[in-house]
Amino acid sequence: MNCHEAAPLISAFADGEIDRVQSRDIKTHLQGCPDCGKKHQDILDLRSRLRAEVPYFPAPPALRARVADLPRTTPTRSADRVEGGRWRWLLSGAFAGCAATVLAWIVGTSVLTWRASEDFVAQAVQAHVRAALNNHLIEVASSDQHTVKPWLSARLDYSPPVPDLSSDGFTLTGGRLEYLAGRPVATLVYRYRDHTIDVFVRPESSGAPPSAPRTVRGFNAAHATGSGMTWLAVSDLNPEALAGFVGRIARGPDP
Amino acid sequence: MSNESRFRALVLPHLDAAYNLARWLARDPHDAEDVVQDACVRALKYLDAVRGADAKPWFLTIVRRAFYDWYRSNRSPEIVHDDGVAIDSAVDESAIDPAQAAESRANSDALEDAVGNLPLVYREVLLLREMEELSYKEIAHIVDIPIGTVMSRLARARALLQRSPLLRAIVAERAGGRP
Repeated sequence: MNCHEAAPLISAFADGEIDRVQSRDIKTHLQGCPDCGKKHQDILDLRSRLRAEVPYFPAPPALRARVADLPRTTPTRSADRVEGGRWRWLLSGAFAGCAATVLAWIVGTSVLTWRASEDFVAQAVQAHVRAALNNHLIEVASSDQHTVKPWLSARLDYSPPVPDLSSDGFTLTGGRLEYLAGRPVATLVYRYRDHTIDVFVRPESSGAPPSAPRTVRGFNAAHATGSGMTWLAVSDLNPEALAGFVGRIARGPDP
Repeated sequence: MSNESRFRALVLPHLDAAYNLARWLARDPHDAEDVVQDACVRALKYLDAVRGADAKPWFLTIVRRAFYDWYRSNRSPEIVHDDGVAIDSAVDESAIDPAQAAESRANSDALEDAVGNLPLVYREVLLLREMEELSYKEIAHIVDIPIGTVMSRLARARALLQRSPLLRAIVAERAGGRP
């Protein structure tokens, strides 16, 4: 080994960080080369001077006392401690993500449900107007509930009750299918004096919660739940009479 | 083992080493206390990530990071990343105040000042090696550099100290004082 090879290694050699084979070579070179030997000796001298002259600062007692209290005074998340800090961060991130997703879902679905119920009423009113304009209120014309009900059941995946309310002045005139909120809906058509009443009947599970009676473009809409269905009546009939009618129809036949 | 007993077993035994490192890096007793306290809070959070044998380098890694975070938010950051030629100027003769040098000679703590005036990149490896007597591997882990870089930085740190004007002044004085 020559000086050129030895020079960069002397410092590491002084630290004992050179492997055994190279150490032997360096040692041999240092013994035979005064320049490199002096460099090595200078490092050893510097080390002993550093240890003798440069102060080592131990932790002040006040700091030690303050720090020793930290586990008690620092709020740690020991309850949800997970092996490895990295995993804890990952998990807390994932948890925050999940929480945000769930929150977004809850807010989103409640808004959508609300919108859906609003939309359903608007669509029902539109369907009522359209049918009246086209003179297409009735696809199955019958005052017999036993004709209307099988006709509807055959065209739907549910079987809506078709109550007979003629004793209350509401005469069944027929039924039709409407396509509302993305699915076919049984529509019963009743007549009360000069008023035509459309009743949109859906299974109760179909989502939209009952909404308060309201008026859309001059037509009244009233909601009721009963007999496993939700009932939405749309008519130009006055709101009180319509609400009474839809409540009556939802209640089902009297025993 | 509870958090508190792990903290007592893994962190507190190395508090002196932590404070000494912080003290030499920050060069101010109060700043060093802040850095160590911050490091302890961080260490508490990650107590699960360490085994007993690695506790010292692990904790010193945290202390060093706490120091650099403190340093970046409190001091001008130029010298932190300066690992090149410009660093020589930090120990250049012209960079040393003659009055300070004279005072240092008078107090005969020239080596202490020379260590304190070393650029951070060299100061930290020198402290970890000469004061904490850590292996190159441990230093590489703490400073997050390759072992080869530890080796070259240490050699350079020693050369800078030996070439330090403060030290040379002392050596010259001693040489001149001899009969």
